[in-house]
Amino acid sequence: MTDQNIDFSMVLASAVHDMKNSLGMLINSLDELRMDHKEALAHSNQFNMLQYEAERMHNDLVQLLGIYRLGQDNLVANVDEHFVPDFLSEQLARHVPLLDGLGIQYSIEADDINGFFDEHLLTGVLNNTINNAIRYTKSQLRLTARDEDGYLVIGVEDDGAGYPESMQHTGTLNFKSLDFKGGSTSLGLFFASSIAAMHNEGERIGSIKLHNGGELGGGVFEIWLP
Amino acid sequence: MNRSEQSELANPFGKLSFLVVDDFENFRLSMRQMLRSCGAEDIQLVAHATAAIQHCSYNHVDVVLCDYNLGEGKNGQHILEELRHKKLLKRSSLFLMVTAETSKEMVMGAREYQPDAYLTKPINRAVLEKRLGSLIRQRNTLLPINREIDRENYPKAITLCLEMLNKHPRYKTWLMKTLGELYLEVGDLAHAQKTYEDVLAQRELSWARLGRCRVLLANRQFDEAINDLKALIEKHPDYMEAYDLLAETLEKQGKTPQAQRILEKASEHSPNALLRQKHLAEVATSNQDVDTASEAWRQTVNLGTYSIHDAPDHYLSLAQSLSDLSEGDLDAEGTERANEALSVLSKMEKRFAEDESLPLRSKIIQSRVHAGQGHNREAEKLLKEVSTEMENQQNMSADMGLDYAKTLFRLGRDQDAKSLLGKLAAQFDNDSDVLQQIEGLLDEPVGFRQKLKAREFNRDGIRAFEEGNLDTAIKTFEKALEIVPDHASLNLNLIQVLLKKHQQEPSNRALLATCQKRLKRLEGLPEQHRQYRRYVALSQKLKGLTA
Repeated sequence: MTDQNIDFSMVLASAVHDMKNSLGMLINSLDELRMDHKEALAHSNQFNMLQYEAERMHNDLVQLLGIYRLGQDNLVANVDEHFVPDFLSEQLARHVPLLDGLGIQYSIEADDINGFFDEHLLTGVLNNTINNAIRYTKSQLRLTARDEDGYLVIGVEDDGAGYPESMQHTGTLNFKSLDFKGGSTSLGLFFASSIAAMHNEGERIGSIKLHNGGELGGGVFEIWLP
Repeated sequence: MNRSEQSELANPFGKLSFLVVDDFENFRLSMRQMLRSCGAEDIQLVAHATAAIQHCSYNHVDVVLCDYNLGEGKNGQHILEELRHKKLLKRSSLFLMVTAETSKEMVMGAREYQPDAYLTKPINRAVLEKRLGSLIRQRNTLLPINREIDRENYPKAITLCLEMLNKHPRYKTWLMKTLGELYLEVGDLAHAQKTYEDVLAQRELSWARLGRCRVLLANRQFDEAINDLKALIEKHPDYMEAYDLLAETLEKQGKTPQAQRILEKASEHSPNALLRQKHLAEVATSNQDVDTASEAWRQTVNLGTYSIHDAPDHYLSLAQSLSDLSEGDLDAEGTERANEALSVLSKMEKRFAEDESLPLRSKIIQSRVHAGQGHNREAEKLLKEVSTEMENQQNMSADMGLDYAKTLFRLGRDQDAKSLLGKLAAQFDNDSDVLQQIEGLLDEPVGFRQKLKAREFNRDGIRAFEEGNLDTAIKTFEKALEIVPDHASLNLNLIQVLLKKHQQEPSNRALLATCQKRLKRLEGLPEQHRQYRRYVALSQKLKGLTA
């Protein structure tokens, strides 16, 4: 029984898949619980923490599966045209219960534009980024969309302390640059950067930009899509 | 703005009827609660497919929220196909598939009927309100177009699409897609092409590329369509519609072996589409690849269990292919296949009990299966029953007739088979497909394995002839003709080689005598036979030589 030829990455992927669906159910129950016990849970720190961490794990697992498929060369961008303001408000909707629970203000400032992207992949990236912003913001969160130099620029801004110097950069990350020893691996940024790069039009390739400032004076995450 | 429009704006959910399909009571209840808090009033909950379909048969439903995974039995895709296929759900109604997946791959590969949207769990009230709200707004805006499409008033629908393109840029993708499909539907290829090219001029989008390939196919620009589709598949290996269209194009070009390979690849990616498996089975059958055909028919039958596309023909075809494979194979594998054929037929008779023609179709195949296993008594008994019933048969379908002839040949009733085929040829003298099958059966009235053997000899003979080895060619063709003595093109092949040899040995009269013997076999060849002209040409040549 030594040579079972176990493809460990596939075992992992299917386990992750299962965990992800499980967490989905869990998050559903949390949403219901919050609706059923509005008064009691509205500002419960423990409950907010529970929901935030569940969301975070769910996002991580979605990301993990995405990266697995990237490695298998099995992830393809199915680009279609979308009306950006609608897309952003649908993305934000998922986080509304938690944002309300934490008392974080949120807004969307998007031009009435259409954009070309794979909505499933972008959903993964934005869920992750918004979830991250919820963690680091003080009191506000802002989603933006504009047309700049022929790129669709979607931004997630907060009023927190901003990204540390080492994380601020522009362009495409590669897997080798990830630091698995430090506390934050930037795996999320690697994922976002890979998804951005899968969107291309002729010579132009998508990318991400991290900097500080913006309207709210905190961290600004931008994904640039051609 | 009148008052009802105002209230619709204020509460887009209020006026619509909803149906929630989920096997978990908790999900049904929480979905109802969320819908209610969005302003919905008319909400029905059901747990499984049968109840869902029944509800839609008797009630108008505007929005279906259906879980994909419903446990045992039909899944969400089965429900969608059945509702749309039976027209229980209008185009103007929304069908939303609720899944636990972040990608659409689990449902990918459906050959028709896509849901209007996928909702990915977890779903909270805010998500539902946003997502469903914008879908309902879109539905309301596009309602006039969908209403015309439901009424099959396509020109009117086209006019409305064009009007709305300027007014509602946010629905541009939907409008352009629909416009392309409508132009194709009414046969206005020039405008269809322009629609797709307008989209492609702005961005390379796969649906527009596929649409343009449909136009190319309709214009019979096969090579360009094939190139574009291959490139599309290269870029999007999970875009199943592209495989289907590529296979269709290759078939139109007569390249059925290539078409089969494409369909095989598509079935590997997405094995659960019944219509694609069926297509593969048909193409493999026309390629004489009985093994692949048999497996694909088996899949088609299995996938039919819960599908609206299930049909007795699939069971008959599976049984026929198993009969071909098991014939004369008395090993364990052959017996197993023969038994499977019989059990498939009995399953069919039970499942489609209301179809009175099936027991007879079934017996025709059963008799042949038994004969192939050397169970002559059963075979004869069944054949007797069949022939009694056949006497009362008024109008025989071509399929049944051909199948019956096959059984007659297999049980040694060659004369009966030939006279039956003669009658069929007269009855279907306008149907070139049927005539071709009749020819095939007359040429090769033998089992599948022998047929392949004869074909192999034929190929070897042709090769020997091309290489100039006339004697080998003659010997090989003669071997083939021992198996299928009436085969038209084989007989003519042999005659051609013999005449060539006669050129080299003009004094060898025996060669010409053999030619004449061979030609005599083809005396009854009908004029519409594909080999008829060749037959006439060679007869005349021979007449000249023997005169």
